Amino acid sequence: MSDDLPAEAYVAALSGFDRMTSARLRGLLARHDPAEAFDIASGRAAAPPPLAAIFERWPDLAAAWRRDGERRRPRRCWEECAALGVDIVMATDDRFPPQLAGDPACPPALFARGDLTVLDARRVGVVGTRNSTQQGNATAARFGYELAAAGVVVVSGLARGIDGAAHRGALAADAAAPAAVVGNGLDVPYPRRNAELWEQVAARGVIVSEWPPGTSPDAFRFPLRNRILAALSEVLVVVESRERGGSLITAREAAARGIGVFAVPGSVRSRASAGANELLRDGAAPALDSGDLLIALGLDHRRANRSRFDPRPRPRGDDAAVLEACRAEPLTVDGLAARFDLSIGQVAMVIARLERDGWLVDSGGWFEAVESGSDRA
Amino acid sequence: MLASIPSAVLFGAEGHRVTVEVHVGAGLPAFNIVGLPDESIREARDRVRAAVMSSGRQWPSQKITVNLAPSQHRKTGSGLDLAIALGVLVASGVVTAESVAGLAFIGELGLDGSLRAVPGVAPMVGVLGELDVVVPVDSGVEAHVAAMGRVRLVRDLVELVEVLGSERPWTDHEPPAVPRARPVVPDLADVHGQQTARAALEIAAAGSHHSLFIGPPGSGKTMLASRLPGLLPPLDRERSLAVTMVHSAAGVGLPPEGLVVTPPFRAPHHTASMVALVGGGSGSLRPGEISLAHCGVLFMDELAEFAPQVLDGLRQPLEEGVVRVARANVHAALPAAFLLVAAMNPCPCGGGPPGACQCGEARISRYTGRVSGPLFDRFDLRVSVHRPAVDEFLDVRPEEPTAVVAARVAAARELAIGRQGVLNAAIAAPQLDEVAPIDAAARALLRGEMENDRLTGRGYHRVRRVARTIADLRSPPTEVVGAEDVATALRLRAPLAPARRWGRAA
Repeated sequence: MSDDLPAEAYVAALSGFDRMTSARLRGLLARHDPAEAFDIASGRAAAPPPLAAIFERWPDLAAAWRRDGERRRPRRCWEECAALGVDIVMATDDRFPPQLAGDPACPPALFARGDLTVLDARRVGVVGTRNSTQQGNATAARFGYELAAAGVVVVSGLARGIDGAAHRGALAADAAAPAAVVGNGLDVPYPRRNAELWEQVAARGVIVSEWPPGTSPDAFRFPLRNRILAALSEVLVVVESRERGGSLITAREAAARGIGVFAVPGSVRSRASAGANELLRDGAAPALDSGDLLIALGLDHRRANRSRFDPRPRPRGDDAAVLEACRAEPLTVDGLAARFDLSIGQVAMVIARLERDGWLVDSGGWFEAVESGSDRA
Repeated sequence: MLASIPSAVLFGAEGHRVTVEVHVGAGLPAFNIVGLPDESIREARDRVRAAVMSSGRQWPSQKITVNLAPSQHRKTGSGLDLAIALGVLVASGVVTAESVAGLAFIGELGLDGSLRAVPGVAPMVGVLGELDVVVPVDSGVEAHVAAMGRVRLVRDLVELVEVLGSERPWTDHEPPAVPRARPVVPDLADVHGQQTARAALEIAAAGSHHSLFIGPPGSGKTMLASRLPGLLPPLDRERSLAVTMVHSAAGVGLPPEGLVVTPPFRAPHHTASMVALVGGGSGSLRPGEISLAHCGVLFMDELAEFAPQVLDGLRQPLEEGVVRVARANVHAALPAAFLLVAAMNPCPCGGGPPGACQCGEARISRYTGRVSGPLFDRFDLRVSVHRPAVDEFLDVRPEEPTAVVAARVAAARELAIGRQGVLNAAIAAPQLDEVAPIDAAARALLRGEMENDRLTGRGYHRVRRVARTIADLRSPPTEVVGAEDVATALRLRAPLAPARRWGRAA
């Protein structure tokens, strides 16, 4: 083992070991220096009693770590990170986000792409379901836009649905940088459809992960990712969530850390809002617009409420009535025909005009109103 | 001695005339069949021998050779049993050659000498021309449909030999009463709400547009599709005959009156194999479900659950209206001009209003990806179906019954045939401007859709054909297709799934 490698190289190698939890890694690094920890974990050096007991209890873990010790050479891991432009920041490092350093479940190291200092600004976490509605996306995008415009860093998860919409909104404001916490390695964007967004966030803000490049987006990593997302937020808002959605885990993690949890109220009949409404019943504060969040941060929110220019032609007559109805809840052609006593053909005409002007969008036969300049993903 | 007996075999849905030549002569006792018989015909040796002996006739202890001419085609099926038996009886002198002159024989023999029906009697009788045909009693209805000569019904070999020996006259057997195979088509009046889907059914029937209903379970997709055949006009004589031939060839029970006059409705289960759906098999190339749906409706429920290669097998028949099935020795072109109606869920969980679907993106695209793009493109109408609202469901106001809608459909079809000779779904693209002109507002609407990437070139032509049908269904029909017709046609082109919602529309 060459001694000229920095501690980060060993940590990068170790954090990619099979079932290497942050608690185990923290325990290893607390007792040994990184090079020694690597040797012990990969079985090159005798394990001290606590680890030996673990190895004895789970012999397959010892075997897996021995294999990982061969596979994950510190020098290669180090060079791989350097080639990808991924920073390895240890918890002892000055650059490590201080709000995370004091956290009881703090990861021993973070992998980061972009500028970690953006996390020094005021931060609001915006999270929600991946299976969101157009309205939910629009709300998330508007929050993202207005928060960023007010100089607040939007922290989110880059997932499909609400997360992506919040980041798109934040980027559109072209003001405060966005920050993302993801559940996989920083080498491959996930989900793939957000690859372009991923690159933009890395270029303009920062993406962090507690796992090294090459880590796949396994389902168990996302709840763990959520604790970091919560810890990095000063205030967390859940835009849409299902009754058992991952955003509720983020909300719970935030509440456990004394971080204010907000939720955007939704229709009691919308499944996409069930979790958010549940949070409100449990005492979360309602977030009706970004001002509510800015006030919670103690910021002046008045600037954020400027109404923006909407280039779309205003609908009139039946068109306006139909749009208003679809704003309240998504409706079908049959539903609209019955409500306004129109023929199918007439409804089709109204929809054709509203769709052409960008007011309505077809979601599997349900028509949803689109907010101004909103996000379409 | 030598005998020559006319009979017929079946390839696909076509009959082919076969002459059964029998030679009985000196030599070691043997019974051989030549002329490319398949296994089912070779087995005829045992049946024929037992049947002749059970009928109280001597089996000649001589060398018997049967030749099936023309001998270059492979033949299959048990329908030649009767002709072979007659050949042996004539060649061995039990029956005179004069008594069988002008007669053809089709039927399978039981070991006791009784005659059994075989599939495909109608097309087989059809190729026998002016000859009188002798068929089993159970095949009487089918034989009458296509016969040009007289039809003689016989119960067993004993009776036949007695008739031919002039010991008794031909008996007028009553063909057995066939129970009505198809249930009565359900009526549209039972469907409450679902205005869009009802309109789509009417348009599909009027223009013969292939339709796909997309909606969550319980939204009434199957209920709607099963009402489509009732909207189609009865078959004309020519189509009726074609459908009857195919149904006879497949061994599907014919209605008591013989001819199939109502458009068939076939609903194969989604586990159906390629052969079951498209037709074929190693022997006689049996017609598949798509041929049985000829001139009618093929309903494929749970479209995405069909095996992908089975679905791909539909593309060529959808294009050409016939399915060509080829095997090493035989090939057949089976008619398959059907109206395809399919139903599927928008995603594996069933979907619903926005936000209700819980499927991951990968799961949705795996599900919807089973319906290939080219097949998806064949559907002129893609209708989003939703669970009706409670008010609609409990509405007691009577809905329009099938008879009223069918009358509009018949009028629109007549109009289309009178104008361009084909139904609207078959209008050639270059002909569209001539027979389906659109006004300026409609053109602007289509231009906008294309500029927004919601409509492709192929989709454009399909929308115009559907819009033509919508205009034809107006009262009175309008010659120029208007913006509202085009807007309605656009509404009936649902994207496949939320996963493709933001992708390129087709």
